[in-house]
Amino acid sequence: MAYSSLFRSEEMSLIQLYIPQETAPYTVAELGELGLIQFRDLNPDVNAFQRAYVKEIRRLDEMERRLRFFAAQMPKSDIEIVGDATGARARSATEIDELEEKIKEHERHITQMNDSYEELQKRYLELTEARHVLQETAEFFEEAVSRQDNIRNSFDEPTAPLLEHQDLEQGEPIAFSNLNLGFVTGVISRAKMQTFERILWRALRGNLYLKYAEIDEPITDPETDEVLEKNVFIIFAHGRELINKIRKISESLGATLYKVDDNPDQRKKSLKEITDQIEDHNSVLTNTKNARKSELVNIAEDLLVWMTIVKKEKAIYHNMNLFIYDSNRKCLIAEGWCPTNDLDQIRQTLKAATDMLGSTVPSILNELPTTKEPPTFQRTNKFTVGFQEIVDAYGVARYREVNPGLFTIITFPFLFAVMFGDCGHGVLVFLAALYFIIREKSLDKPGKDEILEMFFGGRYIILLMGLFSIYTGLIYNDMFSRTLILFPSGFVWPLNQTGQIEARQVGVYHFGIDPAWHGTDNYLLFTNSYKMKMSIILGVIQMSFGIILTIYNYTYFKKRISIYTEFIPQMLFMQCIFGYLVFTIIYKWSIDWYEKDSEGNAIHNSPPGLLNMLIYMFLQPGTVAESDKLYSGQGIVQATLLIISLICVPWMLFVKPFILRREYKKIRTQGYHNPQTDATRISTDEDNEYGGAVVAEEMLEIEEFDFGEIMVHQVIHTIEFCLGCISNTASYLRLWALSLAHAQLSVVLWDMTLKPTLDMKGIFGIIAFIIALTLWFCLTIGILLLMEGLSAFLHALRLHWVEFNNKFYEGTGRKFEPFSFEKLLKEE
Amino acid sequence: MSGFNIVWVGLSVGALVFASYFSVPKGPNQTTIRTSVILAIICCYLMWAITYLAQLHPLIKPKRSHPV
Repeated sequence: MAYSSLFRSEEMSLIQLYIPQETAPYTVAELGELGLIQFRDLNPDVNAFQRAYVKEIRRLDEMERRLRFFAAQMPKSDIEIVGDATGARARSATEIDELEEKIKEHERHITQMNDSYEELQKRYLELTEARHVLQETAEFFEEAVSRQDNIRNSFDEPTAPLLEHQDLEQGEPIAFSNLNLGFVTGVISRAKMQTFERILWRALRGNLYLKYAEIDEPITDPETDEVLEKNVFIIFAHGRELINKIRKISESLGATLYKVDDNPDQRKKSLKEITDQIEDHNSVLTNTKNARKSELVNIAEDLLVWMTIVKKEKAIYHNMNLFIYDSNRKCLIAEGWCPTNDLDQIRQTLKAATDMLGSTVPSILNELPTTKEPPTFQRTNKFTVGFQEIVDAYGVARYREVNPGLFTIITFPFLFAVMFGDCGHGVLVFLAALYFIIREKSLDKPGKDEILEMFFGGRYIILLMGLFSIYTGLIYNDMFSRTLILFPSGFVWPLNQTGQIEARQVGVYHFGIDPAWHGTDNYLLFTNSYKMKMSIILGVIQMSFGIILTIYNYTYFKKRISIYTEFIPQMLFMQCIFGYLVFTIIYKWSIDWYEKDSEGNAIHNSPPGLLNMLIYMFLQPGTVAESDKLYSGQGIVQATLLIISLICVPWMLFVKPFILRREYKKIRTQGYHNPQTDATRISTDEDNEYGGAVVAEEMLEIEEFDFGEIMVHQVIHTIEFCLGCISNTASYLRLWALSLAHAQLSVVLWDMTLKPTLDMKGIFGIIAFIIALTLWFCLTIGILLLMEGLSAFLHALRLHWVEFNNKFYEGTGRKFEPFSFEKLLKEE
Repeated sequence: MSGFNIVWVGLSVGALVFASYFSVPKGPNQTTIRTSVILAIICCYLMWAITYLAQLHPLIKPKRSHPV
């Protein structure tokens, strides 16, 4: 068994399983624990409600609902759901039945207790309010008794304007003699008090006497669980009609009315009664609460396990719905994809399941030959998964296509670091990633912050990004925009000179950029040219590598013809123009343009500009001005390269379609036609109730040869490639731009914050330094690491997705999604 | 001060690549480790070589108008 690698996706097999019906749920459960098979839907025409195991799924849905109900009850009683559900395996049918009964029973208990608790609470609330009413009204009555005289007096007064008015309106004689003052008592929420008062005043035209008092203790509404502030009110008015009116108004505003006796002794008596009742209720309430809590605590212990079991069971039946039933053999037939390397493991699992249940009929596994394109499965580990996700975000590889994920592991952090080159920043990034990796175990839990989750998921990418940034930082000789002097400088500064001084070259700095450049007037001029050329070189190398990778695809997919009609012209086109550009860059660097011969005459002409060279290579092919010459014979070389690259265009364009057409015609003249498409593979017995063709596979349709379509495709492909070569090379200049920007930004930050404080003396200097240091550090983290890092990350991402991947990667596959409990539970 | 340093280092890097190709232990991750190590070595070498070459015969030399 060969090891699989990230280079190509895993080899897959289409397998067929015969699982005896009685052992099916258990076997499927075991396969779910294994998590290596992606089942195919064998009943695509059957809608979701007509499938075999809909009833079971409904039942489990109901169980899940009950469990969610329990979970929702937990916070009300301050119970935390703890426990470990990793060991929870799916159960047998009888166990599930028992579990269902148990859950039902629990639910019944809980709802019962909830109902009675609510009932009790409502009663309790009423009693409390009644008590308040009694307590508060006692005062009012006392006041009212003293007031009655006043009221009587005011009635006696004939000039009392309000009453006069009343007289006129109602035209009713006022019964002074039997001053039958009625009253209404009740409780209303404090927020409504003002409205209440106003409405009453208007409705009764001021013919009332209203008193209210605030209840100190907040009152909880048992239905909504809201805490309300309420007021006790008492309204005196006379006349039955008015009293009724008041009653109606109060009730419509949500007030609760409580009857109060006007006899003080009676009132005292009922107050005592109510207080007693409240106490009784209190103890009952506490009891109910405790009982409910203990019930919930019991449930909480098992809740996670139950949830897991139910989820697993549901997944099992969902998958079994994809199977078909063979009534003759009393078994279920399943089809699915699995990695060929894991076939043995699946066989073992099936056998173990059969042995476990003591069944006499074993499950059978068949490998099916197929022409279907299998799903793509990249076997990743915790290190490679992040990189593979970068690639999958662009497109999932075709089955067995060369996977750029393998190369992305290094090239992605490297290109990032070219833009992010600063060894100080690199160290910080590295340490951050290291922290995540060291605390991996404790951090790897669900429920993290989304941003933290993102950083945590990419911890190994970030680690490599940090490492490469340290390296490129050393090459750029930048550490927080400062410089390191590790080796003797290649330049010597002249002594005793004033004005602008120029260093003299005595050697080459061994590693990276010479520290002598640091802080010079023409530093930017130098790094500008250096970084620009470097990005072109790196870009051309990476793209050429991408083109080379197409060979692996062509040979693997038996498209050898494409090597001659696509790979070779593409490669030639690329190298004749941009390979040549890289060559001239390197050539120009390696020549000492100011070298003099023994007589002191310059050997070379002045260094020619490469940009003009490239432009005139196209504008004036074959001729190179003497002053712009890089080497002798340049004109002929350039003309040849230009001709080759021009030949490549029709080569790419026409050769392949015409070869394909010739081959097709050859086949036709030999009398071959498209194979019959009704050749179905019959997997089950002929007398099967489904007519035998249940697992028949639609043969891959052989495409009709359409020359026009192929030609159009080829034209698009060629244009895309040729234009792409130019624009993609230019696109790599982002490496140059971003790395210059990063370096300059960190210089500016240093100059604006820390630098001025370094020369300050005394206590003020120290304080200023500390403030500046904090500011500098925070801005370094916030702007240089996070913002610049994000932008460099995105640019590196683009370079991989577009510039590198489009050379060889189709990314039109579909991902292998095996039926796996582990994955299922993680997604929750 | 010789451009041949790039060649010598290149040769030793080549030897290193060769050595790392064979020294990676067999196992499910062999291809991944092998490719990563070799690519990393090549990337680092490339960057060093480009930087070294760019400074071999600099067209401009450091200039400054204020003292070091």
